[in-house]
Amino acid sequence: MTKPFSRVLIANRGEIAVRIIRTLRRLGIDSVVVFHEADRASPAVQQADQAVEIKGSTPVAAYLDAEQIIAAAKSTGSEAIHPGYGFLSENTAFARAVADAGIVFVGPTPDAIELMGDKIRARAFVESHGFPVAPSAIEDDDPSTFNERARAVGAPLLIKPSAGGGGKGMRIVRDLSLLDEEIERARSEGQRYFGDGRLYVERYVENPRHIEVQVMGDAHGNVIHLFERECSVQRRFQKIVEETPSPALTPELRVRICETAAGIARAAGYRNAGTVEFIYGNGEFYFLEMNTRLQVEHPVTEMVTGIDLVAEQLSVAAGRPLSVSQADVAVTGHAIEYRIYAESPAQGFTPTTGRVLRLGLPEGDGIRLDLGIAEGQRVTSAFDPMLAKLVVHGADRAEAIARADRALADFALLGCETNAEFLRRLNADEAFGRGDVHTGFLDANPQIAAEPELEPATLARLLATASLLTRPVRDAADAVPELHAAMGAWRN
Amino acid sequence: MRHLFKLDNQEHAVWLTWRDGRYFLLIGDSEQPVALEGAGGRDRLTVGNVTVPVLAAVDGDDIHIHVDGITRTLRYLDPIRHYAAHSGASVDDVILAPMPGTVVQAIVSPGQAVARGDTLVVIESMKLETAIKSPRDGVVETVHVSTGMTFDRSAPLVTLAPATGA
Repeated sequence: MTKPFSRVLIANRGEIAVRIIRTLRRLGIDSVVVFHEADRASPAVQQADQAVEIKGSTPVAAYLDAEQIIAAAKSTGSEAIHPGYGFLSENTAFARAVADAGIVFVGPTPDAIELMGDKIRARAFVESHGFPVAPSAIEDDDPSTFNERARAVGAPLLIKPSAGGGGKGMRIVRDLSLLDEEIERARSEGQRYFGDGRLYVERYVENPRHIEVQVMGDAHGNVIHLFERECSVQRRFQKIVEETPSPALTPELRVRICETAAGIARAAGYRNAGTVEFIYGNGEFYFLEMNTRLQVEHPVTEMVTGIDLVAEQLSVAAGRPLSVSQADVAVTGHAIEYRIYAESPAQGFTPTTGRVLRLGLPEGDGIRLDLGIAEGQRVTSAFDPMLAKLVVHGADRAEAIARADRALADFALLGCETNAEFLRRLNADEAFGRGDVHTGFLDANPQIAAEPELEPATLARLLATASLLTRPVRDAADAVPELHAAMGAWRN
Repeated sequence: MRHLFKLDNQEHAVWLTWRDGRYFLLIGDSEQPVALEGAGGRDRLTVGNVTVPVLAAVDGDDIHIHVDGITRTLRYLDPIRHYAAHSGASVDDVILAPMPGTVVQAIVSPGQAVARGDTLVVIESMKLETAIKSPRDGVVETVHVSTGMTFDRSAPLVTLAPATGA
């Protein structure tokens, strides 16, 4: 098959830029990356065929500067721009500006980004097509009947300020006899925090799971799903571990949730890779939102289906039909992704910084490491703290977990603390082993984040290595005559 | 002679000696032969009769080590500087950043008297403001940061003049 483009610019950095370059190389497409000075030593800049420096008041600002990025695409003769995830990937104005410049945006139509980017509109769209959304009541629809409509949603329910965010002013109601009182309290909190007392109410799912479905659509009206991913293990509402298949779904539920996701994408005339996210609990699932881009955790889907999602994105962006039909998509084995962050789990997952002095990388059957940093590079607080993704594949979940244990133990990054040891403890946790997780799992199990005492043998190995590598310690040993040395050992 | 390494805020004393053509390490009252062989990539560390792979990097007085699936940083406490620290400026005099971040406001200035619990500097990290408070009564000697500055974890923020009389 001929290649869809001859040159593609990647408007991103870190591991995702490296991952996109890998597919471009495989397809024989020239790769161009844009980079801020802070990333000059990064693997993406080293591996791309061309790297164009962009500037910004902060490093992040450079990667958000549509004008410089489009200019770089033009000056390098790039035919398409792949936005990766984050940054400009779900920015309608950027997608339009790229198209206006005569360049292909590797993503959905601007209209689809706009629809799904507005959470209220997206929810209304999904509901109007008959797909499940969490039962809810919006005060603005008719303030005079709000309390009755809220009661009809049923317990447990969640009251949220319409103007809110960040969890402020949210109240969970489990006993409907307290509803009126709680609504008044939420209203006064909303007024205090946001200067706006308007509310809405939705069904609250206790200890919910986050399950999402990978979809892929082309410009010819074909939409397929590539099964689900379970992303329930989170900290601060950010995913840490994702896997497929979900340990929670029965075969019947899997069919229902995957077909629902494909149906939503089809109704939206969706083109590109996309992810439909659901909240799942008590055997029911509700639409949460749709992400109109490649997802961080897309590799687990690639590992079990053998389909290169970036290659499919490029192909449909070039106007070609999907290379696979729904019947071609089959799942083999089990895959789990572990996000390696520069952070200290024992200290409340606070970010860490440092220079990468040495890397030791896991390898072996079923191991994929998407790495965004190189030795010598500095980890700063300028960017998101995710450094790498370890993705393991096994014949079943137990084999994937066993392989991950080995790979996480082998992963070594010297010079900046990471969460790798925490991920290994999480991987060894009994409840995690049973797949018994929910979005509040880490908050409910703080012992996983706590750092255990070192084994005496490990402490001895650390001290022995440090002693043998410290010049003054070695010099002192070498300088002392053997007789004294022998005596020294017996002295206090 | 005895050497000290600091690990997770604890000091560990070791004594390395050379005899019979190999190194021995004394930790507490247990002495074992030790060896480190490098062959590119991971090194091989032997303690007693067990050999394991190890990856290490030395950065000044810091030794970063990955062994047995864990990574730790040990700091070599130079005997001379360590003695000086104990006789003069104590570690307690330097207030270090608990996490990387940005300075929202440096509250105190050099020469200013502060009481235990007084706010010295306000920092921002992960979109949260944190007040860095004085660990004891004293006088500010140096303020190492200014408003808007970014810093790494363990960067010195404020140094208090050495405590007197104690």
